[in-house]
Amino acid sequence: MTVVARTWNRLTLPGKVIFTIVPLLIVLTAGLVITLVLVGPFLVDFIAANLAIARFVVAATVILLITVPTAFLIIYMEMKGIALMNLRIGPDRVGPYGSLLSVVHGLKVLMKEDFTPTGADPIVFTWAPVVVYLTSVMTLLVIPFAPDGLVAQNFNLGLLYFFAISGLSVVGLLMGGWASFNKYSLLGGIRSAAQVVSYEIPLVLSVVGVIMLAGTMDLTIIVQNQAGWFTDWYIWQQPLAVVIFFIAATAEANRTPFDLTEADSEIVAGFATEYSGMRFGFFFFAEYVNVFIISALTVTLFLGGWNAPVAWPEQWAIDLSLDPGSLGIGLLLVVLIAPLVLTLLFATPLWLISSRIKTWQALLGGFVLANLFIVGLVVGVGYIGFAWVAGLLWFMLKTYVLVFTFVWMRGTLPRVRIDQLMNFAWKWLMELAFLNIFVTAGAIILIEYLRRS
Amino acid sequence: MSTAQRPSADDPRILLDQEAGVFEPVPPYPPRTEREAEFYTLGDGQMFLNMGPQHPSTHGVLRVVLKIDGENVVDLDPVLGYLHRGVEKLAENADYHQVISQVDPLEYVSSLFNEWGAVLSFEKLLDVEVPRRAEYIRVLSAELNRIASHALFMGWMALDLGGLTPILWSFIERDEIVEMLASLTGQRMLFNYFRIGGVNGDLNHDFMSRLGNWMSRATEQIEASQGLLNENEIFVRRMRGLGPIDTKTALRMCFTGPNLRATGVPFDIRRAHPYSVYPELDFDIPTRVEGDCLARYLLRVDEVKQSLRIIDQCLHQMPDGPVMAKLPRLLRPRPGRAYSAVESPRGQYATYVVSDGTDQPFRMRIHDPSYIHLQSVGLLMQGNLIADTMAIMASLDPIMGGVDK
Repeated sequence: MTVVARTWNRLTLPGKVIFTIVPLLIVLTAGLVITLVLVGPFLVDFIAANLAIARFVVAATVILLITVPTAFLIIYMEMKGIALMNLRIGPDRVGPYGSLLSVVHGLKVLMKEDFTPTGADPIVFTWAPVVVYLTSVMTLLVIPFAPDGLVAQNFNLGLLYFFAISGLSVVGLLMGGWASFNKYSLLGGIRSAAQVVSYEIPLVLSVVGVIMLAGTMDLTIIVQNQAGWFTDWYIWQQPLAVVIFFIAATAEANRTPFDLTEADSEIVAGFATEYSGMRFGFFFFAEYVNVFIISALTVTLFLGGWNAPVAWPEQWAIDLSLDPGSLGIGLLLVVLIAPLVLTLLFATPLWLISSRIKTWQALLGGFVLANLFIVGLVVGVGYIGFAWVAGLLWFMLKTYVLVFTFVWMRGTLPRVRIDQLMNFAWKWLMELAFLNIFVTAGAIILIEYLRRS
Repeated sequence: MSTAQRPSADDPRILLDQEAGVFEPVPPYPPRTEREAEFYTLGDGQMFLNMGPQHPSTHGVLRVVLKIDGENVVDLDPVLGYLHRGVEKLAENADYHQVISQVDPLEYVSSLFNEWGAVLSFEKLLDVEVPRRAEYIRVLSAELNRIASHALFMGWMALDLGGLTPILWSFIERDEIVEMLASLTGQRMLFNYFRIGGVNGDLNHDFMSRLGNWMSRATEQIEASQGLLNENEIFVRRMRGLGPIDTKTALRMCFTGPNLRATGVPFDIRRAHPYSVYPELDFDIPTRVEGDCLARYLLRVDEVKQSLRIIDQCLHQMPDGPVMAKLPRLLRPRPGRAYSAVESPRGQYATYVVSDGTDQPFRMRIHDPSYIHLQSVGLLMQGNLIADTMAIMASLDPIMGGVDK
């Protein structure tokens, strides 16, 4: 015993850590390998038999996971964007230009105390943020991000599913408002119920024109119908619907100028007044995920989805059916030599351009430029060669332009009053949405008639 | 939980009772007046909502108990006194020089006017002749302070309606003015600059260079920050016709300052009962007739422009000479009483002082416009929505330091 104890005590701290972890890892790896070997064939058979379910599980998990960085990105955009509009500097401490501050915020809400007030209904109080967050994530499932099946679950009633699920979020807000045992929370919950239910109607009515034009509720087909030049997007055929949809969607997402549910100068924080820690974090994340979803749906329905604004000419298409394996050992040589050659290639002009630039600086610059070149090459080749890369790039670009519009509105506009909000929904948006439906239907019938005669 | 199960009466764990943590705004004592009894009786479908004293937008520590029916405010009851410091009593135990620093934190966004009111009444008691250069410096610095106060008002007004940006834009102006005054007086907020018989120190180079720099761009900057609000449809639609008050009611409720001028009465102490060198200066009294929140807001925008005119004239007409009258250190005015009023950014700020011949005031009474204006919130707010409560209160521009004294 003493020998073991003496040997152990002579180890440094890293040594102790390694001596503990390495055997553990070996045992775990061995166990995993043995399990896979034993269960593997059955597992493969099971997945092959239920491929659709397995695909859905993976896709749903991926969607759930990407909401977190999406929310981080939009929160950072909002903090920095509003700071610049306010003539402030904004976040600039954590990470380059403060870009990691939203991650720090996320960690902060994780570490804070999770407080349940006296008198609250603990079960409803706990589940309200989950309901709100999950409804947000579930609506993302039907958004087609790019062609070639980059959609979590495609089915022919996608749009209907979207509205059905997004309408559920109000249940979560009401639960939070009611269970908090606070009058401000209650007012916020009631306000959100009134607001979301009212704006659901013009929101759904405004997309009826698009459904009539596309002849389907399948979001993928709606996007495919808008392929070609940017003039083929539905925004030109449905200009009124875009405006109605965007306003109603802003109210749906409880964003400025319709953020009455969490109006901080009136009812403190609305339904989230009594929430703290990660429960508040869920509400907070859900709000920003909603902003992303609404921008994504606007892009999908009216702005061509993944389609580029300019059609790529057929004769410029490059056939990239290249098999890297056919190069054989040459592939290895290319991979090894290309960075070196490129670095020297970019370093030489830097080295020649001025005597002030030292050799190592030129080499470093050349290395950076070579890396940028390779990244650009990969993205460029991907853009030309693979439709889903191009589609994803265009989709994200359009979506984040709209997300910026939301941030811009938040930095500029004051809040409307509750009666003005209701008047606007029932007296203006709904009538205009009906007008849009009738005009679209009439136009479709007229065009059909003219085409036949 | 029954009493027998409790560990002991003073055990803090009894706070974990079910009833603990539930706050009802109804006072624990029986109603003292008829009004209180009427207010704290709930009708059908009504409930109390307690706003403040810790609320994001009650402008300090004002507590308002709202009786609401859904979103409609049926009645409301402001509860004051959370910032009471007994300034009037403190002034009775300080000599005349010390009183100036005691009244500073009353209306803390426009401290120079508080000092001016006190100093003016003491000078009347003592029959002091103030040097003309000191008078001009007083007007100059006070008008700067008025602009700073109005800038803060405009920002808060927008913030209470949910706009995030205007307050930060107006704080840029306010910060520049406050820094400027700090280089003149030594402090950013509670200046303690006016003295009986003059001011504490002449204009310095730092102040003058900052002032010239700011004046050259002030008009454009104020126009730019107002463009964000005055041309905003949502802002104007919410403010127009909100919390209107007519001339008769305003006079009956003792309104003064911008709130009265927004109803069409061109009453301004600087013209009605002139003091200092205001008779020598050329400026207009802007008025509006609507008497609603938008009028009160736009009137203050106009006042800022007039203040800029006054500052410009002060800089051109300022004579040379001393900034302080020759006075003994220990001031013992003859027994008597004096009253003086100045036009503060909120209205008539008046000081009434009684002397018994010693070096301390026997009694000092402060008439603060914020307190007077806050009386009328109940009148203005009935039948409005919760969201408008804050907007109306912000448009009256009360400062709780002055209300609670």
